[in-house]
Parts: sequence; structure tokens; C-alpha cells
Amino acid sequence: MSREFPKKRVVVTGYGMITPLGKNTEETFRSASQGLSGIDYITSFDTKGLPCQIGGQVQNSWLDEVRDPVAQRYYKFSARGLRLIRAATLEATEQAQTEKIAARDRIGVSLGYHADNPTIEDLVFLHRFYNGNGSWDMKGLLQAGGYSYLNFLRRKPDVVTSMLSILSNCKGPNLSIVSACAAGSQAIGEAYRMLQEGKADVMIAGGCDTTLNFIGFIGFVLIKALSERYTSPQKASRPFDRKRNGFVMSEGAGTIILEELEHARSRGVPIYGEILGYASSADAYRITDTHPKGLGAILAIKGALEDAGISSEDVDYINAHGTSTVQNDLTETVAIKEVFGERAKSIPISSNKSMLGHTIGAAGAIECVLTLAGINQSTILPTINYEFPDPKCDLDYVPNVARTQEHRIAISNSFGFGGQNACLCIGKFNG
Amino acid sequence: MSQNFITEATVFEEVKKATAETLNIDKDSIKPESSLIKDLGAESLDFLDINYRLEQAFGIKMARHFILEHIEEMFGEGSAIDANSQITDKAVSLLQFRMGENFPELRPGMDMDEVPALVTAQSLTSGVLDILDSLPEKCSACGNSAWQSENGLRIKCGSCEEYASFTNGDDLIKAWLTKVQEEKKIF
Repeated sequence: MSREFPKKRVVVTGYGMITPLGKNTEETFRSASQGLSGIDYITSFDTKGLPCQIGGQVQNSWLDEVRDPVAQRYYKFSARGLRLIRAATLEATEQAQTEKIAARDRIGVSLGYHADNPTIEDLVFLHRFYNGNGSWDMKGLLQAGGYSYLNFLRRKPDVVTSMLSILSNCKGPNLSIVSACAAGSQAIGEAYRMLQEGKADVMIAGGCDTTLNFIGFIGFVLIKALSERYTSPQKASRPFDRKRNGFVMSEGAGTIILEELEHARSRGVPIYGEILGYASSADAYRITDTHPKGLGAILAIKGALEDAGISSEDVDYINAHGTSTVQNDLTETVAIKEVFGERAKSIPISSNKSMLGHTIGAAGAIECVLTLAGINQSTILPTINYEFPDPKCDLDYVPNVARTQEHRIAISNSFGFGGQNACLCIGKFNG
Repeated sequence: MSQNFITEATVFEEVKKATAETLNIDKDSIKPESSLIKDLGAESLDFLDINYRLEQAFGIKMARHFILEHIEEMFGEGSAIDANSQITDKAVSLLQFRMGENFPELRPGMDMDEVPALVTAQSLTSGVLDILDSLPEKCSACGNSAWQSENGLRIKCGSCEEYASFTNGDDLIKAWLTKVQEEKKIF
């Protein structure tokens, strides 16, 4: 029998992000409040001939602006993922002043990420030494300089988590989460759990992903998950709209500093919000199809509310997963109706992905931070490109224009391919 | 031209094989009228796998888009699916024309979500046969007309040994839609 400890409260003392809409939280939030889109034609690789040629890129100049000499020597281990998450994390740790904390073994890292994809150049190089029948010309390969061990490390999602702990000198729990679109939320949720249980004082939690390269992109094209019909790149991501036809791939990173309440108080740092509850679940249904009745999503949302000790009546805003795929937005709507009943129609629901596209492992983290920023600024971000109502998606999706409205408690949904679901319950800090 | 090298029975056998291997089910449980989704438990990803296996077997390219998507593209938004996500009457009559009368589910007002369940082992077989029947008269590599079958599945040029190339499934659907529209002026 396990002993029950009183659960500790977990607050937010810092956050950061880098997204297609901005190089930090302030810029991203400002652009999102104006209903701008960060989506455009992809320039990071040649998309000629592909049925989808758009995405949400983080500008290279923003990454170059990040002053991070100590991390530079590690970039070779993770070309882009590490750079993105470092940009977001530096913003967050500066805000939370985590450098000043003495007990480094009480600070952990929890990160959602899926590692860098192999490049076509890597594959073409290797192919020269392969006879196509299972046999390798190892002598020739070694003579040509061999296959860099760095490629091996770049394929491992755990390396960036480890790298973050090195760079931020965090000796506490170290968690790598790999659950597709739910990873960012799960990374925050599991970090919250550790703090609740007293396993650490501070957790650096978040997610990053960068899939805007041929190998990363082509799989999503093959399974027809991406939007292929759009009048302009900015119009392609249209969650809950009747003409939605797939999601838009983006890259980015989001970081949040979670801290046990008394620890934050003793440091005297500003508190920006509180994580009130979390739950994760699985559809246990199919690989990409969501459960038609949203059973997994319902479990996650109900679980998060229960964990927070609140009822569905208390929720003022829902930050939707809202990917702009036909299935997700319908299933999510069905799940919200099931959990919130008649009230579902009067709760504002919006999808940040309408503006940012889908940053996969980063999405949950970015959306958690945007939700917090929205609570603190009494702003509900819009769902843009909402033009043609879908009779099956008939809730209040905050169409096109941000809303000024005080709200105190929100949930943020993240539902991954494979039916992995996570829901975070986020609240204004009440002291 | 319609080809006489690969029989419908052979294609159906390959469809059964591809479906059985993809879904890990008994080949003999698959009947021509079996709905892949409703009767055999396929999910959307499985269609990609089944199509890939058929493409490898026959050296063809299956359609990537369902006919409704082509109708929307060719005849304008709303021509196949209305604002309530229901199939338009015109699209229903077009589908009935294409798929035959054996689909009582196919009726005006049916939801677009229900359409994938209409795919049966027989409709897949017809799709493959349509593509095989796009066999050009002459070999595009050497210009000779000396097709012959290799192992009953692949068609090869008897003169230069090149495999035959067929029109891809999407282009065939578009060509069929153009022809039907010219004849019947549905849209």
C-alpha cells in the first residue's frame, strides 16, 4: 500500500517560446492577438512536386539573435531542435531566475521531442556503399570518412533532454517524452506530477519539434494528413471550419518553468499562474484514426478536471487541440460536448494552430504558455480562417477576432496520432 | 485499350492477398462484396498499405484521391459535398453510375463519413482493372506492339523487355468524369 502525501501546489515562474509567429512569447502573443498567420511557402527544403508546399517556419535570423555561446558547441548533436528549445528555455529561465537557485539536484528537465530526421544527403552518401542486397562496403565507407557518429545522436530524442540538463546545470529528474502531438502537454503534466509529489523543486518543462525537411515532411504527405487545398498559405489552417482539409506542419519550441509554490515564494519571484490538474489517456483504438466518439479525449479532459478538483462548470476557456483535420476537430467537438453538456456552447474554444500551424511536440507547451498569457491579459486568442460553419462543429470557436474577456480557469487539449491524449488544467494564480 | 493478359480472377486474388496480409486476416474470409471497413475492420491507414501492395504487384499507380475529391476539384466546391457534409444528389447519381446498383447505402443525403465504407474487395478489383486497361497499344520505349504477360501479373514488352506503363488512377478518374460530364451533363 502506498502512503498518501498531501499534494504540493505547482506554479509557473517563467515561460518562453519561439514560433513561426515570433521569436519570443511577447511577439508571438501579440501577433496571435491580431489574428495573424505564421504560415507561408516552405523555404527550408525543396517542395517542388509535393501536394503540400506550406509550413510554419521559425526565421533563422531569430535563432541567430539568441546569444548562446556555451550551447554552440553542442549544435552538432542536434541541428535545429536544440537551438529552438534553447531559445525558448533561455527566455523562460531568465524570467524565472533559475540560475540563482543553489540546489541544482532539485531542478529537473521534462521535454517532448522526436529528434531530428536523417537528411537526404546522409542517405545518399550511405547509399553509395550499399549493394542493395543487405551487404555493405565497409572499407569504402571508412575510406570515404565513415558515417558520422553525430548522426546517430541526432536521431535520439533523449539527447536534447540530456543536453538541456547539461546547459542549464539541472541535476534533478530527467524525462524524455515521445507521444507525438501530446508530447508537449505530457512533458508539462508529468513535470507537474513530480513537483506535486516533492520529487523536485523546479522543473524546466516543454517541447520542441522541427519537421520541415524532406524526410520529416514526406511521411505526413503520404498519409494525407496535411492540408493540400488552400487558396493561400495563410488560409490553409482552418480548425473547425467546414472547408478544413488537413493540418499545416510547423516548427517551434515552448518552455515553462514549473515550481513548487513554497519554493517560489521563498525565492520571492513573480508567479504567472498555476497548473491545477493534468491527465493523460489513450484511445486504444487505431493508429491514426481518432475514436469516433472521442472516448480517449473525454477520459483526458474529465481526468484533468477531477485531478484539479473542479467541475466542468468552473472552466472559462478551452484551448483546443484543433488541428484543422476533418477528424480531429469533429472528435474534439464531440468530446467537449460530452464533458460539458449544455454548457459546451457557451464556453469560448479556440485553436492557436489556426495561426501557428502544428508544431507537433512543441504544440502543447506553446499552447499552455499562450493560455497562461491569455489569462493574465484577459485576452482569448481567436481561431482564424473560420469562414464556413460546419454544422457538426457548432460551438463557440472565437472566430477570427481575439476577445477581451476575463477568465480564470482554462483547459488545454493535446491529442496525438496514435490516440495519445493529454489535458492540462491551467489557472490564474490566486495567492 | 482493354488488355487480355491479366484476368479479373487474378486481380481479385491479388486484392484478397493484399487485404489479408495488411489486415492479418484469413484470405478466404474476403468476399467480393466485403466492405473493407465494415466487414474486415480496416482503418484509413490500411488503404495506403493495400494500395501499395497492389501497386507493387501490378506495376501500377492507384488513385490517391477518392472520386468525391476529384468532383469537387473539377466541378467546383460544393458539387460533391454540401454544407452539411452530405453527398449531393448529383454526386450520388454519379457514384451509382460508377459503382453499380449493389449499394443500398448509397443514397442522397448520406454523410461523407460513410463513403469510405463503400469500398469493397470488388470495387478495388475494378479500380485495378481500369488501370490495367489503360495499357497503351504500343510500348513507349521501343514502339513495338508485342505485349506479353510475365507470371500473370506484370505486362512486359516482348520486344524490348520494358514493363508496360499505365495511366495512374487519379488521371483515369478525371478522364472518366470528363467523359461522363460530356455525355450526361450532370454538373
